[in-house]
Amino acid sequence: MSPTVFLFFGFVAILFLALGWALREPRERRKLQTYPRALEEGGQRHLTYLPQMRQAFAKTDYDFLAKRASREVQRRVRRERAGVALAYLAALRGDFEYLLRMARVIAVLSPEVAAVREFERLRLTAKFVWQYEMLRWMLLAGFAPVPQLDGLSDLVSGLSVRMDAAMKELGERAAVAVKLASSMNRRGLDVV
Amino acid sequence: MAGLVYSLRWAVAISAVAQVAVCGLLLFKGHFRKLPVFTAFVAVNICQGGFLYLVYAHFGYSSHSASVLAWLSEATALILRSLATIEVLRLVLSSYRGIWGLGWRVIAVAYGAVLSYAAIDAGSNVALAIVVADRGFHLAFAVALVACLLLVRHYSIPVDAVYKGLLGGFCFYSCAVVLANTVGQALFLRQFADFQPIWQAATVVAYGVVQVVWAVALRKPLPVEEKQHALLPASIYQEISPEINQRLRLLNEQLMQIWKPEVTRH
Repeated sequence: MSPTVFLFFGFVAILFLALGWALREPRERRKLQTYPRALEEGGQRHLTYLPQMRQAFAKTDYDFLAKRASREVQRRVRRERAGVALAYLAALRGDFEYLLRMARVIAVLSPEVAAVREFERLRLTAKFVWQYEMLRWMLLAGFAPVPQLDGLSDLVSGLSVRMDAAMKELGERAAVAVKLASSMNRRGLDVV
Repeated sequence: MAGLVYSLRWAVAISAVAQVAVCGLLLFKGHFRKLPVFTAFVAVNICQGGFLYLVYAHFGYSSHSASVLAWLSEATALILRSLATIEVLRLVLSSYRGIWGLGWRVIAVAYGAVLSYAAIDAGSNVALAIVVADRGFHLAFAVALVACLLLVRHYSIPVDAVYKGLLGGFCFYSCAVVLANTVGQALFLRQFADFQPIWQAATVVAYGVVQVVWAVALRKPLPVEEKQHALLPASIYQEISPEINQRLRLLNEQLMQIWKPEVTRH
């Protein structure tokens, strides 16, 4: 068999896998009606602990320990810091996913969608996932990078007023649509 | 080889019966009202079978005229197949105007890119130009369809099982034709004398399987078309989408800031 045959077989196998994945029912179907609620729940709860996290990563603390504490204590602190850094990473990922979810809802409910923006988001997602996984493995392997926490609060301290207003509008419209559909169902009418 | 030819006849007969069953379901269950192009595609396929039978009976299986007429009828069926697929996709995405707008652009780009490659490939391979072009068409079709379905999945848009069956069937058949043409071409180039029954058997069996899947899918009623969702004003997307992208970019930078000190340490 020539390489061309293998190439085509490989390509078709990839197509079959992609087709199967695309047609498979997602484990957790996020229906459109539940979107606004899901968005309201999306949150930046970890922000509450930001000052403590900052403190945990303060360089002065670490310098102080290096002078006064035993190696064992320093190791323990390092390990605990890595745990905090992992939690911080997970929080960043949560923020990222929240924004993606919001972007999807808005795109699905928009009369026009710009391909450039949607593909830009795909690129950013791929970049984020790559960096996230690399960092996570580094932390798990015992390398403890010190995150720069400054600026995080600016990022996640709530979305802009316009975005909040859009979410409110989205929720109201979805509620109206659900009410309309249920009242039509009660009357035995098709929602066409 | 005689056994294969005999089996092929049976496969053709079963496939024809399945096609008639699908057509019957479309007509008697009233699906043709919602799927007029798809119904036309199935009907044309049945007519194509009869047409080819007459052509081969009149001109002979190996004649040039029969070959030209057969490929012309195939081109008509391929055009209708593309239109039928777009019809089904349109039904799936009709409630999501923006995503449909994005979807057809994805289809056009994927289709155009793969088809251009196929045209170049067919042009450089004159002896097998039609087979290569046919393979290219099916490849482009499958790539475009899968790309659009991935988009639908990305936005968590629900797709009814009937439409999944129809779209999955189209894609499966195209993939099967790509493989059959590739193997057929390889056998032809190795001067394997009886490559044609093998190639035909592969395509007929694949088509028969698709017909059975469609028949099973079409036994159920088609979903009631959803009312157009209450859409947000276009300005909200224009304002918020770039802002979200900007925030995602900043989150990426945040990760980079963590990454950089570690990188410089090593």
